[in-house]
Amino acid sequence: MRNRSLNAIPTSAPGRRGTAPPRRVAPGPPGPPAARRPRRTPQPYILLAPALVLLAVVVGYPLVRLGVISTQGFGLRTLITGRTSSVGAANYTAILHDAQLAPILLRTVVFAATLVAGTVAVGLGAALMMVAVGRRLRSAMMLALLGAWAMPTVASTLVWQWLFQPTYGVVNWLLTQLRVFGDYRQHDFLAHPVSGFVVVWLLVVWISVPFVALTLYAGLTQIPGEYHEAAAIDGAGYWRRVRTVTLPFLRPVLMLVTVMSVIWDFNVFNQIWILTKGGPDGGTTTIAIWSFTKAFASQSYGQGAAIAVFSVVLLAVLAGWWVRRLVVAGEEA
Amino acid sequence: MRIRIPAGLAAGIVLALGATACSSSTSSGPTGTSTPASGGNAGKTLTVWYMDGDLSDAAVKAINDKFTALTGAQVKVQIQQWDGINTKVATALAQDNPPDVLEIGNTDVPLFAASGGLSDITSALPDLQAGGQHWLPGLEGPATVGGKSFGAPLFAGNRAVIYNKKIWAAAGITAPPTTFAQLTADLDAVKAKNTAPDFSAFYFPGKYWHGALQFVWDAGGQLAAQSGGKWTGTLESAEAQKGLTAWKDFVGKYSSAASRDVETTAPDFNTLFAQGKAGAILNSSINSILKVGPSLKDQIGTFPFPSATDGRTQPVFLGGSDLAIAAKSKNQSLALAYLKAATDPAVQASAIVGIDHWIPASTEVIDQTIGSLPATSQAFFTAAKTSVPTPAVAGWATVESDKSIDDFFADIATGRKSPAEAAKSLDAHLDQALNAPVS
Amino acid sequence: MRTSRRARMLLNGAGMLFAVVWAFPVYWMVTTAFKPQHDILTSTPHFLPFPLTLANFADAVRKPHFGAYVVNSLAVTLTVVAVATAVGFLAALALARFRFVGRRAILVTILAIQMIPAPALVIPLFLTMKSMHLLNNLLSLGLTYTAFVVPLTVWVLRGFAQGVPVELEEAARLDGAGPAQVIRHVMLPLLAPGIIATSIFAFITAWNDYVYAYVMMKDDAHYTLPVWLATFSTNTGTDYAGLIAGSTLFALPAVAFFMIAQTKLTAGMTAGAVKG
Repeated sequence: MRNRSLNAIPTSAPGRRGTAPPRRVAPGPPGPPAARRPRRTPQPYILLAPALVLLAVVVGYPLVRLGVISTQGFGLRTLITGRTSSVGAANYTAILHDAQLAPILLRTVVFAATLVAGTVAVGLGAALMMVAVGRRLRSAMMLALLGAWAMPTVASTLVWQWLFQPTYGVVNWLLTQLRVFGDYRQHDFLAHPVSGFVVVWLLVVWISVPFVALTLYAGLTQIPGEYHEAAAIDGAGYWRRVRTVTLPFLRPVLMLVTVMSVIWDFNVFNQIWILTKGGPDGGTTTIAIWSFTKAFASQSYGQGAAIAVFSVVLLAVLAGWWVRRLVVAGEEA
Repeated sequence: MRIRIPAGLAAGIVLALGATACSSSTSSGPTGTSTPASGGNAGKTLTVWYMDGDLSDAAVKAINDKFTALTGAQVKVQIQQWDGINTKVATALAQDNPPDVLEIGNTDVPLFAASGGLSDITSALPDLQAGGQHWLPGLEGPATVGGKSFGAPLFAGNRAVIYNKKIWAAAGITAPPTTFAQLTADLDAVKAKNTAPDFSAFYFPGKYWHGALQFVWDAGGQLAAQSGGKWTGTLESAEAQKGLTAWKDFVGKYSSAASRDVETTAPDFNTLFAQGKAGAILNSSINSILKVGPSLKDQIGTFPFPSATDGRTQPVFLGGSDLAIAAKSKNQSLALAYLKAATDPAVQASAIVGIDHWIPASTEVIDQTIGSLPATSQAFFTAAKTSVPTPAVAGWATVESDKSIDDFFADIATGRKSPAEAAKSLDAHLDQALNAPVS
Repeated sequence: MRTSRRARMLLNGAGMLFAVVWAFPVYWMVTTAFKPQHDILTSTPHFLPFPLTLANFADAVRKPHFGAYVVNSLAVTLTVVAVATAVGFLAALALARFRFVGRRAILVTILAIQMIPAPALVIPLFLTMKSMHLLNNLLSLGLTYTAFVVPLTVWVLRGFAQGVPVELEEAARLDGAGPAQVIRHVMLPLLAPGIIATSIFAFITAWNDYVYAYVMMKDDAHYTLPVWLATFSTNTGTDYAGLIAGSTLFALPAVAFFMIAQTKLTAGMTAGAVKG
């Protein structure tokens, strides 16, 4: 059984050499050999089975329950006693008629967009630096990235509070030492929605960059050196080589991390909740905060579930184009 | 001399506690009909959930020993964490084998009482309160929903002013104030003596709603009122507005500008106090300050926050916990015996007061023990005599959890909203949240 | 890659700045862990932890059940890394090497799963584990975390697998390599960088979760280390010194895991490249 399924892997289509240049190890582009037609073989399904069964049981089924909960008056009593009552679409109509909806959506989209832009730009920059710099600096950068990634959320948010809090904030102290902005030691960054968002933004970017940078770096190491050499012989400078050689090769991985960032940043919750609780005056409340407070502060799991479902649909619509391109990108040889 | 409580009484602490322990235990023997006899339970174990950081191990052991003496059964204690506790308790109560007895924060008890997850202990009350015990309203009230009782008080904690004697003495003040006018005069003197921008004569964070509510209650205001089964937010009332304005003036004058929109934890107000950046704070214990600055031990004084009405103290928010029984527990009678052991006056006096210095479950035990306490603890006991509970309704947990009450006070302290504007929007939120049905 | 002097200097400078900025919060956590309680918050920052104390660490590891939590966390996390990598690798091979009915739908579905906000699944997953009688069983945590990391693992590894030229596999087969050997000596080494990235992702996801561990486990002995970190915050105050020392210890295994993964897989990669 195991042998049979694995046997199938190396079977390659003839004539591939003619259809595409033999790229050695670039991640992504070649895709399944173009000449191969969909065949009814059991192998791919066998290979996929463990993943699909797991996802169906642990995510698929709960997702169905989430959908059902979103049509119920599901609160604490329902959870404890197990007695449910349907309310139809009431949870959804309540969301759509909530005056908070429009500002929350706008805030969520703007916040996610700026987060994605920041994370991907910094992550790509860091990955490019890592391939270019010496071994020691590269190790230092990797260690810094990994430390940021490994630091538990409770500690990173706490350190962030310490960096930006009045009286004791290290950033407050630094800004004051610069003697440009005046005395910032008593400034409370989280008291204003915009500067509060900036502090949260910095934290989320700081936490998100490691995954993006390390994954892109992994992609960069797969680009064959000959391509750069060929371009260099043609007289291309560093930036031109990045544009003409690196980025095209990196595109599939870059798109993947971008899509993942869109999805994660749209749903970012912990950092906002711990730093601002969605305040001041609701000024940093995103759809994830909204769903959480409905479900867990008001114990209205039904309404929280409805907001969650709504948010997934919305995200699917917003990110749909990207997801499509991502899937298609894997197909083009 | 402005000292109201003779400090000398603390000397007799061990003796007094020993005496109360003896006298109480004789008066509260196993008289209850619901208490299982000592036999037959020897092999049984009761699972009890306590919250992290509330009772010390020694206090819990004292309760467990009492329980074992009453029933012969053993206790398995499990300590729960605060982060996400409502979800944790809710999911635990939803299981077929829940913990038998749970410690639940008093403001959260109505939520679980109304949701069908806790056992009705109304019929056991005469036995639990044997010997004429009057439970603190701030603990018993929230556990009573629709005339039925769902929990017994475990302990309470409340706030009093903690001040730095050295800083105050440097400003020429040697005795704690007993009236609001004296307090503000003292703070004016402290403020005049300390002009650093990060110094607060009285550090009072804008989101510190537990403390800020004292001003509302002191002026005769309320968070919400119930009539005909319906709750209405009452912060727009003239009394509440007067209290809110008084609070705004107070923090505006004596607390640093940086404190307007922060919680007590960031920056940590115990640290601010320990480092001499605050002349006074309002807190429920001096332990966290001593952890940061052990050298302050003899430099800390406490007094109840004086009322605007002379001769009284500000009503305080009574925090604390109740013990409740899971409705799905298979050890209902043993669980009831555990509540009996925990509320036993002797255990309350020796463990809750004697070991942990918390406010005990009944006014009788407060009166019995107050004289035996260290001077710094007595102010808390005195302040506890005038306490007001938060609305005893399931929806109150929403207002605490969604942080709207934090924002309400911060909006006023920062001037983002006037007390009237802020009250209008919080009243609307209270009207909705407090009347929301528990589904 | 060859670069001009100016570009190199610019990159080096930027790299150094980047390392400093990214390391600073971590540095702050680690040094704070060594500071005595009263030095943790100071209005003029103490950039070096002097005087130095180990008391915070001692307090942290002396908390009850610490040993059990370490064992649980390691067991759950390492299992998740191994299973998620294996399951994700197989699925990635199928998606990269075959065309079959439902392929695109599967790809899109796997990605869409990531769109669900994590808090929304707490109650549904709790109910699911309850009906499967897996509550208070570490298996429920293993399943949950594996399911959370498999989608990303599949997508990343698929991208890398597509980059492996079929010719390499053919060459290996002509040399007499069996399917298992092809996977071990051709695919795995070439996928190594991707596997490093996804296994760290899996490690950190499983290692850091608090909510599911707290809600699905019931006995003290079954919790994992994030629950231990939560013990530093109580209603009567937060033990900042203990919390930050605990966090420092907490982060160590992830860093160690990365180092091991990096060396092992880099070694494997070179070996594979020589053979290929």
